[in-house]
Amino acid sequence: MMDSSAFAAETVGLTKRYALSWKRRVLVALDHLDLQIKPGEVFGLLGPNGSGKSTTIKLLLGLIAPNEGDARIFGLPPESIEARRRVGFLPENPYFYGFLNGDETLRFYGKLCGLSGAKLEARIEELIELVGLQNGRERPLRSYSKGMLQRIGLAQAMIHDPDLLFLDEPTAGVDPQGSAQIRDLILRLKKMGKTVIFSSHLLEQVQEVADRVAIFSLGRKVLEGSLDDLLVEKQATLVNLPGELSAERREQLQHLLAQAGFNGADVSFSRPRLSLEQLYLRTVKADRKS
Amino acid sequence: MIGSLQRIIIIARNTLTEAVRQKVLTVLLLFGVVMICTSSFFSQVVIDQQIKFVKDFGCGAIGLIGLFIAILSTAQLLPQELHNRTIYTILAKPVRRAEFLFGKFLGVVLLLALSVALMSLAFAATLWWQESQGIAATKATYAANPHWESIPDQVSAYHHDVDAIVTQAEDPQLVEAILLLFAKLVMSSAIALVISTFSTSFIFTVITTSMIYLVGHLESTARDVWLQGGAQVSFLQSGFLEILSLLVPDMNSFTIVDEILDGHAVPWWHTLNLVGYAAVYTFVLLALSELIFRNREI
Repeated sequence: MMDSSAFAAETVGLTKRYALSWKRRVLVALDHLDLQIKPGEVFGLLGPNGSGKSTTIKLLLGLIAPNEGDARIFGLPPESIEARRRVGFLPENPYFYGFLNGDETLRFYGKLCGLSGAKLEARIEELIELVGLQNGRERPLRSYSKGMLQRIGLAQAMIHDPDLLFLDEPTAGVDPQGSAQIRDLILRLKKMGKTVIFSSHLLEQVQEVADRVAIFSLGRKVLEGSLDDLLVEKQATLVNLPGELSAERREQLQHLLAQAGFNGADVSFSRPRLSLEQLYLRTVKADRKS
Repeated sequence: MIGSLQRIIIIARNTLTEAVRQKVLTVLLLFGVVMICTSSFFSQVVIDQQIKFVKDFGCGAIGLIGLFIAILSTAQLLPQELHNRTIYTILAKPVRRAEFLFGKFLGVVLLLALSVALMSLAFAATLWWQESQGIAATKATYAANPHWESIPDQVSAYHHDVDAIVTQAEDPQLVEAILLLFAKLVMSSAIALVISTFSTSFIFTVITTSMIYLVGHLESTARDVWLQGGAQVSFLQSGFLEILSLLVPDMNSFTIVDEILDGHAVPWWHTLNLVGYAAVYTFVLLALSELIFRNREI
């Protein structure tokens, strides 16, 4: 299929206001957002609660209408059936239909997307394996844990093999193990050439998967760029050395650096630290192996 | 078009499955079935009164339990979808809002059809049992005289009595009565659907729909009372009645069911007219729901 646009998702001056009639005030949920996301990119939407991340996603999905501006999905209006064939969505904290089991849930969403028969059953098998829900196939969703709900949510979002996935807080309320699995899944989707737009407030996770991020505050995009551009401290260089540095060797190094023209006061030494998440995952993994 | 219809049916089936697996509705339906089956134990002295009682009670239970199911299950359709956020996952798929709404409504209509069918079966079984009891009791009365079968007058009177019981219990017009009850339930459900497209709470939808249902029953009575006043009807009063009759369906026309239960003949064309009226009203209400829901922020 030919894309009529160079962008998987694009917004121009996108604005959403809500009238708070009882206070005679207007809440600006999103203020003139310009965004261009290329196919194959993993894009992170960051910001505190109420900063406009979910509103952006809902506008891009055509679930709500903007007051001003325009949104396009592969050059198509977001509310069009053609655009929806190409997107998948995992909402924040989904519950789904508690009376359906894992297989029935995927069958329902697959049929809505026009899939049927052996093709649908094969797709269900594939997705159940991909999200690791083999033990939840026959269980009703009301008995699912939070992490399992997120995983079935991801599977339903991918049922029709969309080119663009919207994930609203995909790791909210999920334990670090589950959250790492979701992160790996996003990376797999990226390898498959899919575009992923996701919102999160777990900054470390965003850092690990996103190519680019936009930071939102009070309905406005305040910063946007690639992680390399945004996170690299251009005023300093970090050198990693193996093992512990004795006082004697530190002096030798400082001397060498002074000879190379570095002012001693600008040079600092520190031990690299693990993030708590890295420590946790490493410990749990080691424990399971033993 | 075919794809659209398929999606409506998929959503309708899912709605029906949900309702069937929800224990509240099953309990309500069971209650209705048990109520109908036990109606024959409320004994009346005269047999034909007993059958009349079973018929009144059966149709009353179908109407009342059906109304509970219609209003409660329709009123919770959208709030539940919004609460569980399933509406977002469905509308983010290649599904139009109208397809979602009509699918949900069709699910409730199927649920009502299933409920009415089950209660009607219980009703038919109760009537059949009551009929056989009535015939047995009649025979027992005649058998008080051991030679009654050799007395032509007695035999002819016995057959006359049995025919009366069979005619009353196996009245084919009951099919018309049940069809009318079903049409009324579908219309009530469509009213609840319109309210729920702009309402923000389940309770508001239930109360408002019940009020409209009540007004629908009273409007023709009010018209009759006012029109009896003849020339005193003011322009304002008649205008108000006109607007009311346009906005609120005339539920009172469906009390023709009582005529059927009283044993009066109601021609099929009259029944079909009323079913047609309910169908037109339902389509108008569906179109209105779609119009409101199309622009609703979710």
